Amino acid sequence: MLENYKNKFIPLILPIVLILIWHGITDGLELFSSYILPSPMDVVNSAWVVIENGKLLTNTIDTLYKVFAGLICASIVAIPAGILLGWYKTLEDLCTFVISVLRPIPPVAWIPFSILWFGIGTFPAVFIIFMGCVFPILVYTIDGVKRTDKVLVESAQTLGANDWNVLKRVVVPSTVPYIVSGLKVGIGIALMCTISAEMIGSSSGLGYMILTATNLFDTGTTVVGMIVIGLIGLAFDFVFSRAQDKIFW
Amino acid sequence: MSIEVKNINKTFKSKKTDQLSVLENINLTINDGELICLLGPSGCGKTTLLRLIAGLEQPTSGEIVANGEVVKKPSGDRAVIFQQYSLFPWLTVLQNVTFGLEMTKKGSKAENIAAAERYLTSVGLIDFKDSYPHELSGGMKQRVAIIRSLLNHSPILLMDEPFSAVDMQNRHSLQEQLIGVWKRFENTIVFVTHDVDEAVYLADKIVILDKNPGRIAKIVEVDIERPRKRESPEFIALQESIVQQLNMED
Repeated sequence: MLENYKNKFIPLILPIVLILIWHGITDGLELFSSYILPSPMDVVNSAWVVIENGKLLTNTIDTLYKVFAGLICASIVAIPAGILLGWYKTLEDLCTFVISVLRPIPPVAWIPFSILWFGIGTFPAVFIIFMGCVFPILVYTIDGVKRTDKVLVESAQTLGANDWNVLKRVVVPSTVPYIVSGLKVGIGIALMCTISAEMIGSSSGLGYMILTATNLFDTGTTVVGMIVIGLIGLAFDFVFSRAQDKIFW
Repeated sequence: MSIEVKNINKTFKSKKTDQLSVLENINLTINDGELICLLGPSGCGKTTLLRLIAGLEQPTSGEIVANGEVVKKPSGDRAVIFQQYSLFPWLTVLQNVTFGLEMTKKGSKAENIAAAERYLTSVGLIDFKDSYPHELSGGMKQRVAIIRSLLNHSPILLMDEPFSAVDMQNRHSLQEQLIGVWKRFENTIVFVTHDVDEAVYLADKIVILDKNPGRIAKIVEVDIERPRKRESPEFIALQESIVQQLNMED
């Protein structure tokens, strides 16, 4: 019993200590002026303001909307493409060079073109997120297809499955855990890309909120935005880990 | 369904030597409804021969004729029970068992499920029909794999040391069940093993393979009446003579 409680409380110790130190060097010792490093109370006050006027909620929803739109677009392209590339060696040989060159380009490097092509707003951000997610999902899917257990493929063949059925009934389901891993990586990247994109070519979202708040020396709100992004990431991680526990056999 | 193995040679390319001859000049006739054991030390090419018959690999020269047709690729007529567990982990036992029927579109869904349930009942696995493979023991998984092939009415069963990962007690019971199934369905069975006891217990004919390169050393007819008793003098005598034959090779 006591052991259980101990384990549950251990992860909480460090955050509490950090907040106490933070409080100590800001409100306690007053080492910094509040716009250089806002105190925990400043952050709570700013949070209250943006919660009450609804800005936090609308900007969070806006950011999540972009993340999902980009992720879904990337999945629609990357999952079928990954399955085909993993299955047909020639197709992979054909594409491998292009993929290898495009993949290391940081998604934010596409920001200038995204603004030129799509202007300011939701579209350019979705495009950046797409560029950021498409490659990890693609690579994980290709890898998953290649790791399909040969015995399962051969079993299906000796049970009378044709090539199409082998692909549909064996290769695709056995790739699902890898696709989920790819999505997990993709969503982390998507979150990063969204914030960067919003800071440059956008007029809404958490990134935009952070940047405008900073420009107005309202750094309390900046910290609120940062914490919300962290919490969103944590929530996604939790959901995907649960999904993986369910799928990994 | 009979199988004719004609002048089969199989070489693999290897890094050390230029070519590695795995099977050399194999000729073998397997009659319809026969239970054949391929017996030999590891590296004698017995699994390769099985895979050639299945159509999972192609011979370097020679041909294999199953039911009058040259084997070119795998088919539902020649089911393979692999040494490794081969159930689809994302499907339940029932879904695994009906997989072949769905592929060959043999019956309606309801008929297939009814047939699958009947088969699972006959081997005492009906309570596990909604379980996933990872919830089953090794012996149970292999029984499900066998049921999956039987339900598909594969006239030929090719079995690659299917019981080698199972403990002895369960192995004996699985062998007994296999004989029961074989008598009922009259399949042609090619059973690969390195276990002399298993071969003598199961086979009509034991094909003893030699290694480097793999070739047929001797074919032994087993005319001990079934059900065979492991403690009977003729069983022990045959077992000893085969062990001697295998030792001679080394």
